[in-house]
Amino acid sequence: MRRPKKRTARGRTVLDGTQGPRRIKLTINGEDLDLAFKSPRTLLEVLRDDLNLTGTKQGCDGGECGACTVLIEDEPRLACLTLAATLHGKKVLTIEGLAKDGNLHPLQRAFLAKGAVQCGYCTPGVILSAKALLDRNPTPTEEEVKKALAGNLCRCTGYKKIIDAVLEAGREFESLIR
Amino acid sequence: MADLRVVGRSHPRVDGLEKVTGAARFSPDVKFPRMIVGKILRSPHPHAKILHIDASRALRLPGIKAVVTAEDTPKAKVNSAASTYYFEERGAKNVAPTPMVMDQTVFCGDVARFVGDEVAAVAAVDEETALEALSLIKVDYELLPPVFDPLKAMEPGTPLVHEAERNIAYKFVIRRGDIEKGFAEAHVIHEDTYTTQLQHQAYLGPTACVADADGSGRVMIWTELQSPFRARRLLSDMLGLPASKVRIFQTHVGGAFGGKHFKRVQPICALLALKARRPVRLCLTREEEFMSSPPRHATHIRLKMGASRDGTLVAKETYIVLNSGAYGEVGPIILDTMTKRVDSLYRFTNIKTDSFLVYTNTVPGGAFRGFGNPPMDFALESHMDMLAEKLGMDPVELRLKNARRVGEVSAHGWEVKSCALTECIEKAAEAIRWKEKRAKQKLAGGKPRGVGIGCMIHVSGCRYYPGFYGSNAVVSVGDHGQVYLFSGESELGQGCKTVMAQIVAEELGICLEDVVVPDLDTDFSPHSLGAYADRTTHIGGNATRLAAIDAREQLFEFAAEMLEADPGDLVAQDRKIFPKGSPQRAVSFLEVAKRSWFHTGGKEIVGRGSWDPPSVPPDPETQYGNVSSAYTFGAQIAEVEVDPKTGKVTILNFAAAHDVGKAINPMAVEGQLEGALVQGAGYGLMEDMVGIDGRIYNPNFLNYRLPTILDISPMKIMMVESNDPVGPYGAKGVAEPALVATAPALANAIYHAVGVRITNLPVTPQKILAALKDKERREKRRSE
Repeated sequence: MRRPKKRTARGRTVLDGTQGPRRIKLTINGEDLDLAFKSPRTLLEVLRDDLNLTGTKQGCDGGECGACTVLIEDEPRLACLTLAATLHGKKVLTIEGLAKDGNLHPLQRAFLAKGAVQCGYCTPGVILSAKALLDRNPTPTEEEVKKALAGNLCRCTGYKKIIDAVLEAGREFESLIR
Repeated sequence: MADLRVVGRSHPRVDGLEKVTGAARFSPDVKFPRMIVGKILRSPHPHAKILHIDASRALRLPGIKAVVTAEDTPKAKVNSAASTYYFEERGAKNVAPTPMVMDQTVFCGDVARFVGDEVAAVAAVDEETALEALSLIKVDYELLPPVFDPLKAMEPGTPLVHEAERNIAYKFVIRRGDIEKGFAEAHVIHEDTYTTQLQHQAYLGPTACVADADGSGRVMIWTELQSPFRARRLLSDMLGLPASKVRIFQTHVGGAFGGKHFKRVQPICALLALKARRPVRLCLTREEEFMSSPPRHATHIRLKMGASRDGTLVAKETYIVLNSGAYGEVGPIILDTMTKRVDSLYRFTNIKTDSFLVYTNTVPGGAFRGFGNPPMDFALESHMDMLAEKLGMDPVELRLKNARRVGEVSAHGWEVKSCALTECIEKAAEAIRWKEKRAKQKLAGGKPRGVGIGCMIHVSGCRYYPGFYGSNAVVSVGDHGQVYLFSGESELGQGCKTVMAQIVAEELGICLEDVVVPDLDTDFSPHSLGAYADRTTHIGGNATRLAAIDAREQLFEFAAEMLEADPGDLVAQDRKIFPKGSPQRAVSFLEVAKRSWFHTGGKEIVGRGSWDPPSVPPDPETQYGNVSSAYTFGAQIAEVEVDPKTGKVTILNFAAAHDVGKAINPMAVEGQLEGALVQGAGYGLMEDMVGIDGRIYNPNFLNYRLPTILDISPMKIMMVESNDPVGPYGAKGVAEPALVATAPALANAIYHAVGVRITNLPVTPQKILAALKDKERREKRRSE
């Protein structure tokens, strides 16, 4: 059972909430933000609780399910295991920032068209993991897709349509580049 | 039905856009000003008397807003699957053939019965304060002797979990035909014992609830439920409030699979909100989900079956013990499923079954996709292969020999009006190249390979009691031609909003994007029983279709006036309404909608549909009765490779052929089948809640292993359309079936590959290795 505890496990490094408010500057979904928070907070808490960006999901709180995957400096990272204070000067992308000017990202379109979404709880994390893959390799093999998404659990789809969607989006990516 | 325009096509889901953009709001995402955080205090003991709860120190903590215990709740006992109306409305107790066990209150009260049993709850300004408050509540426990093993729990003199003799919460005694005569006629008889494990639904979205009380004492609840109307009634029972004081808003549901019918989370959250007079959010941690949310029951099955020389199944004798855990929950009807369902898969006539639901001091089991069917199907289908071996018969041939056929009535009175079981078996066998692969066990780099089959039967709604067992729907037409569908059916991610919208668009001759399906709200949505037993598309779909037809008839009244035509002569197609054969005389759907809204003599078009399936509850005495209006069938074949050095099983291929009746949205059906296959493979090979002395030792995704994307194999999905005469457009339920036959298909494939029969799920590498060593020893001894 979860016992009350001081947040030392999370704030192990420097912050234990006694140093007064911290200020950091970072970019979230293209918007420059200047954040102040007192207790050591995870990126997930800052996104969901402070910024109301609830598209980033909390599935396990232990880095096991991948539902809270966001892109930090274009790399997939688990927001539940990332201390917000470590992100000074960094660039963060969440699912809310993926569509540009109302135009869906090719991955979002492909996930809809291929039926890769059921309950949708894992979807934001899966899409962002896949984006990191396609950004560096627009024509992945099925094995490369599997490897890139190995940290994202999905309980509904059986993954097959997710793979189909990522490969489809990759093809669209490639044709855009050409 | 050749001219269907929207039904039968793979439309992307209507609620997809909000899900891919992060806008979809699930229950943990609901937020209000002044909202505070709730936490639950759970019993650390498997069995203990609660002598006293002292919350005075917690109440002095700055930031604490409410503490609730059993003292704040009515004492009446309920059951999460039934609630009192189940009996009251029918005038007497036990009117239902399978009465529910009423053994639960909001908190566990005087006795804690499992590790995780809800003892008290707090609400505070933030999570840290709430957790600290929990640690300040002092509970005096007097430890009671616990019982964990259901077989031991049934022995006389064992401590009782509830006031139930030998801890037996419920039992079935079923006799059909002449079992002795059956076994006497048998050429071969096989007997074995099977056990299955606790499997967790492990939906990715945790169960959360936000409750708020308005000034009038009304409680508003935002949460994720499979059966919101049952939940409303249960909440009113558990809180002692009239139903009019409870309103439930369904948020997006982060997966359910049977695990989100109703939990103590909702009443506890409501109590906290009523006491604190502020909105309260209560969200289960993943650990709490594992320790307290009813998983698939652990079972113990003893099976003895006989077959005549030609393979005809002549006798089936079964003894089942279902470990209920600390409460009954939906255990009696899961036991009902285990007891009877597989008997209609094949043409059994001589049946003897004794089955028991037994209390223990472990986490209570509950509903999970398949609902008692997967463990029993694992036993039956494993058994079929052993019988085939003893007969010297091909397992596929044995199944074809006994397969249920359309037009038959099973030993339990099930009337099979559509059935493509034979076709499913043949299609799956052909797709995997059964004969070829069965003949030679391929050695790829020294690793043996094998193929194995599993067949299944399921229901499309399963009636356990008389009275309304149906669904209602309302279809209204807006001022700009937009159409609203209000359905009581729950969207869990399975795609029911899309399927229902397709039905409405089909019947009104409009496009899918013209249909709006608002989220379920118990104040406005029409009543439905809920999403379980594969009833949503079959039963809810019929209600929706009737509502759309009713709306269409009203539209035709207006259109007939405008066209000076006979309303009975009109057709609706491509957003137009016109007399049959004269599309050039059309009025647009929009014009008719506007006329209904704005013109003199207009009225808002509101179509109503109600559909109660023509099923009958089982007779309380004989348990005989046609419980479902449509039965689904399927066959799955797995091809595996087993590493004899490590015991590791690699799934190479799946061929799954399922009789879906009619695929209203083929892509969605395929998604259901694929997802269920992978869950079924998890059940068969890896998932296992490890409980020792009543404690779950792997309550997280690190140690409770779900299949990941690396674990999946190619899947050949085949939808066989048997066009059920009762279902909407011929449709039957599809979400549960594909999980049912997967574990036995895998176990049979492993047996074919390496010759070891694992009878206890999951079939882990350790068990395979141990069995291989055992086999080696035996063979060595024989050769000496």
